[in-house]
Amino acid sequence: MTGDRDHALDEATRTHDVDLDRVWVAVAAEVWRRRPGPIERLAGRVLRSPGLARALVTTPSLLLGWLIASTVVLVAGVLATHETGTPYVALCAPAIAAVGIAYAYGPGTDPAWELAGSMAVSDRMVLLVRALAVFGLNAVLGSVASAASGAAMAVTFGWLVPMTAVCALALAAATVARSANVGVATGVAGWLIAVVSGQAAVGRLAAAVTDSRLTLPYLTVAVGGAAVVLYATRTDRGVS
Amino acid sequence: MNVEATDLTRRLGRTQAVAGVTIAIGDGVFGLLGPNGAGKTSLLRMMATVIPPTSGHLRLLGCDPSEYGQRRQIRCRLGYLPQNLGYYPRFTVVEFVEYFALLKEMPAARVHRAVAYAVERVGLGDKAKARLSTLSGGMLRRVGIAQAIVNDPQLLLLDEPTAGLDPEQRIAFRSLLRDLGQQATVIVSTHLVEDVGAACARVALMDRGKIVFSGTPDELTGRAVGTDAVGDAPLERGYSAVLAQARS
Repeated sequence: MTGDRDHALDEATRTHDVDLDRVWVAVAAEVWRRRPGPIERLAGRVLRSPGLARALVTTPSLLLGWLIASTVVLVAGVLATHETGTPYVALCAPAIAAVGIAYAYGPGTDPAWELAGSMAVSDRMVLLVRALAVFGLNAVLGSVASAASGAAMAVTFGWLVPMTAVCALALAAATVARSANVGVATGVAGWLIAVVSGQAAVGRLAAAVTDSRLTLPYLTVAVGGAAVVLYATRTDRGVS
Repeated sequence: MNVEATDLTRRLGRTQAVAGVTIAIGDGVFGLLGPNGAGKTSLLRMMATVIPPTSGHLRLLGCDPSEYGQRRQIRCRLGYLPQNLGYYPRFTVVEFVEYFALLKEMPAARVHRAVAYAVERVGLGDKAKARLSTLSGGMLRRVGIAQAIVNDPQLLLLDEPTAGLDPEQRIAFRSLLRDLGQQATVIVSTHLVEDVGAACARVALMDRGKIVFSGTPDELTGRAVGTDAVGDAPLERGYSAVLAQARS
């Protein structure tokens, strides 16, 4: 039996050319194969695109170092809130989220941005998915920190609307100027103006996150920012 | 024809980077020559659908890149190596090439084998698991070429592909170019005249945003006859003669 098999193998080797290059490529493909992590696998299922999922897990402002830095700032905010009674978490969370969103995708931020501009997975989708992920994660981190700081419920959720506006403003500026730094500067400056104006008008630093009359202006800025982003990415980023 | 450009222009701020280019390119290796600032990179970026033309018409692989759906189709069949290849330092060679295979929406079942084949083709098999931050400039260039060819593109655009390669690697790369050019349109932008002479069947020379010569390398060489054009090689003298004539 074994003899028959050896004979058959010899015959096959003698009569058929074996393409060793093809064999090696198949072996290499298995040996070099990368196993996606659980988050990437989940994102791939949800987004129905392995490319988008991979683009999501490479977001610069979702990397571990960035998350640690954001958490440290929010913990400092929790401690400052406990000490002073002023809701510092609610005041700094929108700015942190805006910085993260501005650094989610773009020239100078994503090393392979130029190359990614020629890919089938569209820029706009990458930008959208990354921005939403950064926003969602910052919303969760900020909510936890705000709850831990013992702030009133109105404050805990009051900053989510301004955060949306500040993030949209930062993203719009970063997209139009094609610069994350310009996005950060615009978002943070806009938020500072809102906070300082709130204090000047009502005499409380927290007015920017607790005054319900500001909800409509915040939403207007958020919608306007989103519209600008959609317009600026309507074909591609080459218009200059 | 895989590339058809008609009166194509591209303005960058106040600069007219591409000023009315009309060209048709079919299968084979096509060289795009010209001095720095001639508009080669801008023309290539338009062909790579990274930037839109300011005016004129462009058709790539029979599709119109200004239409979203058709642009997506083009991008699935396109390979592009930019002049400045950005990379993620923590990625390995395989991870980087695979990332762009996924962004090109290659079928998942084909990705791993295609990545391995592309990495082997550029001679980086022994560095497949190395982080990009540990590679030399020439190796990074080859990683860029690997991501460009991973999807077996029908239109391959290479901007200064031999920059940073040593002579042995350049010879191997020219052989790869000729191989790729048998089944696809390969457009190589370079200022190294010898690369064009060794690998390209046709060549265009750009200056100040315009195409001032289009033909075969032999025809370009022939343009030096009867002139006092300077250059160390016949093709270089042809290049100098055409440029001098265009600027006179």
